Amino acid sequence: MTSSLHATPSASSTLAVEARHLVKRYGDLEVLRDVSLEVPEGSVTSIIGASGSGKSTLLRCLNLLERPNLGELAIADEAIRFDRTPQGDVVGLDRRQLQRLRAKVSMVFQQFNLWPHFTVLGNVTEAPMRVKGLSRRRANALAEHYLERVGMADKRDSYPAYLSGGQQQRVAIARALAMEPRLLLFDEPTSALDPERVSEVLSVIRGLADEGRTMVLVTHEMAFARDVSDQVVFLDRGVVGVAGTPQDVFEDSEHERCRHFVAPAVC
Amino acid sequence: MNTVSQEGLLDWAGPILQGALTTLEIAVLAYAIGLVLGLIGASARLSPWAPLRGLATAYSTAVRAVPELLLIILLYYAGSQALTALIHAMGLPGQVAINGFVTAVGVLAFVQGAYMTEVLRGAILAIPKGQLEAADAFGFSTWSRFHRIVIPAMLPNALPGMSNLWLILIKDTALISVIGFSELFFTIQQAAASTRAHFLFYAAAGAIYLLMTLTSTALFARLERYVRRGQPAQEEA
Repeated sequence: MTSSLHATPSASSTLAVEARHLVKRYGDLEVLRDVSLEVPEGSVTSIIGASGSGKSTLLRCLNLLERPNLGELAIADEAIRFDRTPQGDVVGLDRRQLQRLRAKVSMVFQQFNLWPHFTVLGNVTEAPMRVKGLSRRRANALAEHYLERVGMADKRDSYPAYLSGGQQQRVAIARALAMEPRLLLFDEPTSALDPERVSEVLSVIRGLADEGRTMVLVTHEMAFARDVSDQVVFLDRGVVGVAGTPQDVFEDSEHERCRHFVAPAVC
Repeated sequence: MNTVSQEGLLDWAGPILQGALTTLEIAVLAYAIGLVLGLIGASARLSPWAPLRGLATAYSTAVRAVPELLLIILLYYAGSQALTALIHAMGLPGQVAINGFVTAVGVLAFVQGAYMTEVLRGAILAIPKGQLEAADAFGFSTWSRFHRIVIPAMLPNALPGMSNLWLILIKDTALISVIGFSELFFTIQQAAASTRAHFLFYAAAGAIYLLMTLTSTALFARLERYVRRGQPAQEEA
């Protein structure tokens, strides 16, 4: 018995994410070493840490763009256990469950990753139509709604390449929202933006946090993380250095490297 | 004295147009099948499964290494021979002749597929990884990802190469004349031989090939503008 693939109704309904003892290696390099994380429904968690600390890898494990080598994940009522067969392969996932999970978890990327051959509207309607099987009419209505929400409705017929980075990222957020996901993942959503475009994206994300959406962010915007998060996780060399309220991490932490890392934001 | 033949260009206009049409039919069919083979070949070459990769690599390498003329003759004569032998082995009498049209389309498609495999493989590899990752992250099925994201995203990269292959294919149809199938080139040869107006007919053939290739170049240019509709002007790139 090396794997259990079934969706378990026993997965806690109050936790959107329950990650236990995740390990992720690339060859000999251990990027995540026994990381556990809990994200309650309706809360905002920020993952911070130096580059190379494993924070993006951890986030990408939550929609399985990276597949952990070991550990257990329960996300949006999908329970998955990763383990090794005697032959050494990772097991613990089938394709249907993977697609089901990803339909419930939307991601916003650092580089936006919009599809350049679709218009703004096409980018937002594509996944709801293809993955959730919505009719074009319903997908359009949904897309209009969320484009309005991020202030991009007037650009619905533009192609992404004609938009600024901040506008593209807002479209990408609308694209993620249109799947009406249980969980939103943000992978350094403002790191690729010109400084003067950062605030327009952050204010959209802040608005989503205020709506009580469940979100996990990887970010370098310390002040923002401190401001919007219910929980902050400081990752350090592949392990959780400190986790707790923003107060715990930004002010009261005894963790040497954490104090050092957050110092510029605290002053 | 009067060495000019009784027959002129006008008398041959009908057969030549018929031949030109046949050439186009062969080319379009071979191209369409070659495109499908190329998509399969490129997917196979990029597959994580090694035996599939090996098979596709062997196909594109071997076919591109052998002269097409040889392949045409091989499939036509050796193919008939093999099928006849097979029929005899099954205790049936008779001869099997492979249809010239089928040979033409079959061989040219087979060759196109090999070149197309390489053009499409390169174009797929050139897709920015993030676009595919986004499709994965949203839970696209393999098929949705392929036809909604991969194909439209690789087409801008692939079209110049595809247009090139089409031009080469039109010209390669002339090779079919060696098996005596009356496409454009074969008809022209007959006309030239019969009227002795070699220059006239071969010049006419050149003009017809030129017309076909110029028209299709224009069509490909339009198609390329369409698949690049999401991309700002390329001049600066």
